[in-house]
Amino acid sequence: MPDPIHQFDLERLFQLNLFGYDASFTNSSLYMVVVVVAIVGFLLYAIQTRSLVPTRLQSLAEMAYEFVAGMIRDSMGEEGMKFFPLIFTLFMFIFAANMIGLIPGAFTVTSHVIVTAALALLVFLTVIIAGFAKNGLGFLKLFVPDGVPIYVLPLVSAIEVISFFSRPISHSLRLFANMLAGHITLKVFAGFIVMLLGSAGAAKFLMPLPLIAVVGITALEFLVAFLQAYVFTMLTCMYLNDALHPGH
Amino acid sequence: MSIENQGGGGQRGDLSPEDKAAFERRIAGLDKRLGDVKSREAAATKASRGRSSQNRGMAYGLRMASELVAAVLVGGLIGYALDHFLGTKPWLFLVMFILGFAAGVTNVMRSYDKVQKDVAKTTGGNIGHAVPDDNDD
Repeated sequence: MPDPIHQFDLERLFQLNLFGYDASFTNSSLYMVVVVVAIVGFLLYAIQTRSLVPTRLQSLAEMAYEFVAGMIRDSMGEEGMKFFPLIFTLFMFIFAANMIGLIPGAFTVTSHVIVTAALALLVFLTVIIAGFAKNGLGFLKLFVPDGVPIYVLPLVSAIEVISFFSRPISHSLRLFANMLAGHITLKVFAGFIVMLLGSAGAAKFLMPLPLIAVVGITALEFLVAFLQAYVFTMLTCMYLNDALHPGH
Repeated sequence: MSIENQGGGGQRGDLSPEDKAAFERRIAGLDKRLGDVKSREAAATKASRGRSSQNRGMAYGLRMASELVAAVLVGGLIGYALDHFLGTKPWLFLVMFILGFAAGVTNVMRSYDKVQKDVAKTTGGNIGHAVPDDNDD
């Protein structure tokens, strides 16, 4: 049976050593470049005409804009639109990386926890910096909920602090685990097809069962690819909202 | 009849009883057709709303479990690190582990509240609200 983990192996394409760190250009880096080029190329090509009556591609680009802008306005209000560049970039990057990863043989950038953790930490640090920049020490009100009696306040504050620091972890693990699990499941079921075909006797005729399952799981993975990008973006909006309006 | 009426001194708005009956039949028919179209459209939007809320539900569901686990992990980790530096093994770990669990439950309850609010917003706050029947007089 083919190794279902093999698809996540990193390979160095160019060796590169920077200040004693291994900064080689890997297949993961290559696919990140592919994702970015695909997004930028698509958006630049789509808005080329800039017509009032959009072409199909232009309306697709406009839909992406409206989708993210709507999400931001829903959760943060008009004020949140100053974070639009960050949030739109995150959404497009994760969505494109998930989708390109579903092409057979392609590498899934978001199936490595280090990549999703870097994205989640970017959001986490943005929340902290923007929160302190906008509210000063008032940002710490985030850990002191309204209407809590003074004698349970230390306990509640401790819980709030843990809850705050657990955010980047759940934020990154969710995306990573979903992509990893989905790709392993696909590979395992695909492996069953080969195994059943290679087996002797009547087991051969069970082959269509995993084949049907793989088709179904692939469709589900397309849904998950979108949903995870959506969830990541929505949570980013929620966390940034805390930076703008702490204290509830 | 109608010709006679128009020729006569009757007002413009006046209709003969037969005409009036026919007119009312037509109005009733229109009402019925309009009602049909309305109910069909309502069913269609309901179906599409159901689909999108199903997707949304899945998105929310995927969130909950990791919220709980992450808080427990972070609580345990903070406790373990504090124990390591303060030499109070294993007490702070145990306390922080339990606090982490409490934080996880708080997280889940908060995101559940948010889901409820979102659902109320997309359905206009009236889940299972019946469309008033305006056919009856």
